Amino acid sequence: MKIESQGECLSISEIHELTAQNSAHFRDEVQAALKGSPAVIEINLSKTRFMDSSGLGALFALYRATAQSPGVILRLLNPMPEIQQLLELTQMQQLFEIVRR
Amino acid sequence: MAAPLLEPARPATLRLAFSPDLASARAVSIAIRTFLAEQGVAEKELFSYELCISEASNNAVEYAEGYARNLKPVAEALFTPSQIELRVTDHTAGFVLPEKITAPSPLTDRGRGLFLIQSVMDEVRYLRGTKENILVMRKKRRVVPTPAAGEQDPFNPPSIEKYQQHLSESSAQMARMADELQLRSETLSSIFRCCAELGRIDNASESFEKRLLVDLLHLTSADWYVLRMLSPDGRKLPVAAASEPDLGSGVIELPAAGGTPGGIEASVAASLTATRFDIRESSDPSEPLRAVGPEGAGLVCPLCFGGTLVGTIAVGRRNGDFPLGRLQDEVIRTFAEFLAIQTLNIRRQKDEVRNLVIARELEIAQTIQHLLLPRTLPQLSGFSVAGGWQSAREVGGDFYDAIALDDQSLLLMIADVMGKGVPAALFATTMRGLLLGLAARSSDPSQLLSGLNRLLYKELSSVSMFITAQIVHVDLKTRKLTAASAGHCPLHFVQPGRRSISTMQIKGLPLGVLPDTDYPHMTALMGTPAAVLLYTDGLTDRRNPAGKVYGQTRLKTWLRLNAIPGRSATEVRDRLATELNRFRGDADMSDDQAFLILVEEGAGAMQKAPPSKRRIRLRRGSFLFPSTA
Repeated sequence: MKIESQGECLSISEIHELTAQNSAHFRDEVQAALKGSPAVIEINLSKTRFMDSSGLGALFALYRATAQSPGVILRLLNPMPEIQQLLELTQMQQLFEIVRR
Repeated sequence: MAAPLLEPARPATLRLAFSPDLASARAVSIAIRTFLAEQGVAEKELFSYELCISEASNNAVEYAEGYARNLKPVAEALFTPSQIELRVTDHTAGFVLPEKITAPSPLTDRGRGLFLIQSVMDEVRYLRGTKENILVMRKKRRVVPTPAAGEQDPFNPPSIEKYQQHLSESSAQMARMADELQLRSETLSSIFRCCAELGRIDNASESFEKRLLVDLLHLTSADWYVLRMLSPDGRKLPVAAASEPDLGSGVIELPAAGGTPGGIEASVAASLTATRFDIRESSDPSEPLRAVGPEGAGLVCPLCFGGTLVGTIAVGRRNGDFPLGRLQDEVIRTFAEFLAIQTLNIRRQKDEVRNLVIARELEIAQTIQHLLLPRTLPQLSGFSVAGGWQSAREVGGDFYDAIALDDQSLLLMIADVMGKGVPAALFATTMRGLLLGLAARSSDPSQLLSGLNRLLYKELSSVSMFITAQIVHVDLKTRKLTAASAGHCPLHFVQPGRRSISTMQIKGLPLGVLPDTDYPHMTALMGTPAAVLLYTDGLTDRRNPAGKVYGQTRLKTWLRLNAIPGRSATEVRDRLATELNRFRGDADMSDDQAFLILVEEGAGAMQKAPPSKRRIRLRRGSFLFPSTA
């Protein structure tokens, strides 16, 4: 997993999977990076091959952590079709901006 | 040509025990995914299976407590081309798996795992044990024969012939799909047609079933059908409709609970399970379906919805070498279910209509009853008349009337129509109207009863009903009573110089028994003060909670003690009503009852209560009194 901060944008990428095994780690790392008060948070899911309900839980935790700071944009980049389906099935696509580029 | 599809005799299985930690759970999910990929499961399916194993394994790890943390959960995958089954055995305290988990809100942190499993798999069951539980997840797979194209050898491209063959196979498959699609759409349109028909016709059931079954034969290219509908007592299966008359004979008797059903249709009715049959395989010589021919075969479906059996339907072909296909089976099952639902719907509608009719009948009956009893009774100088009426139902056949002929004479009449409810009340109103008409021409009780019998005989005998009645002419000047009776119970009155109450029992057939009947009359003089009581037998037959009848003796004693000088008819009536209710206690009323009382108030009579303006109010179990005028 790679976390980069460029200006007001926090980018998280190189996530190969987001599961019960690594979701706590993901949570902690991103939580620490939020201290820089980014205006945009981009999670690049293009390499995320697998995600389970704990992974979804980690994304939800991020949504909740930023809910107190209005105006912060949460963006999921290029999820694979299976991940996109998973987000839709659990209606979590409502919480994020899903962008393909 | 596509390789023939071979189904393994046993599923290919991978069974892995893993340490109860999340890293091992993750490793197991990946191993199962790899195993399924090796079986040829497509990439897009693999994600779902990996997700399910992952969710179940994580739960097995996260919810293990105490000693269970040392036990290894087990994950399994069982693969056949038509189904994949995943199982995870855990050692947790377990949970209750709801039938259907609704989608959790995106704004919650919990409850997604099981929801995802149920969304992805066709069937999910959780088998709970004392030491371990097993989550079983099944998914049916569509078996599509993979054409050779998918396994092309790049160094040896297929020939033109192979492409042509592939093309013709594809078009055959397309044709099969088109057939299926057409069959399904025809099935649907047939069902819609029948639904529309249902809405139009009153006697829907029969016509609609026949129409549906003709469509069914057409759709399934079957030769015959036999529809049996369950008898109301649930013991028999008579034929309701059949494609040919020779199939439509014979009633199947269903065995009592626990008995062995005889024949295929009876077995289907008992098990509520559709069954295919080939008559050549049956050894039962009395099998009713032998009527379809020695080589007949087909499908017998229960007509059943929500566990309620309505009947059975058997559909098939005469030649069992050309049995019905899977698709035809499915169409027949769909029709059977549709027919069962519609039949139950029709029955429910009929019940509703029947209830409406009953409610309306009661409403009509109450209106009639209002008309039945006289609003006012004549009160002549020094004498008063009062009557009471009580019905075992909302409407009764007992009634009375008093008609003033002039200021010195009057007619008292009481009657009991045998039967209750609306028909009895209708006869009662008719009779009351006729009596008023006849009384204008004659005041002789014998003539009046003969006249009433002549006029009512035809109608009464056509419905096997009859009326008992009693008419008393009272001449106040001469104090003479002239009475005639049509099978009615006796008349009680006070004779001159007698302390006890006298009884006048007059012979006579009830109205409606014979077309021409003479009614003899009896006469007597009234004592002073006068008291005359006419009543229906419901009064003396009235029982108390101990089952004892009120009886004539008790009634006469009561009358002697209560019809005393100075009491008005209204007062005596009220006392009698109280007495009768006291005697009955909380025993049920079994019959209607009515009485009519005439008393001489004499000198020093109590002041009469002013006439009541109240409408007659009907109330079960309480006496009704018309007002005095």
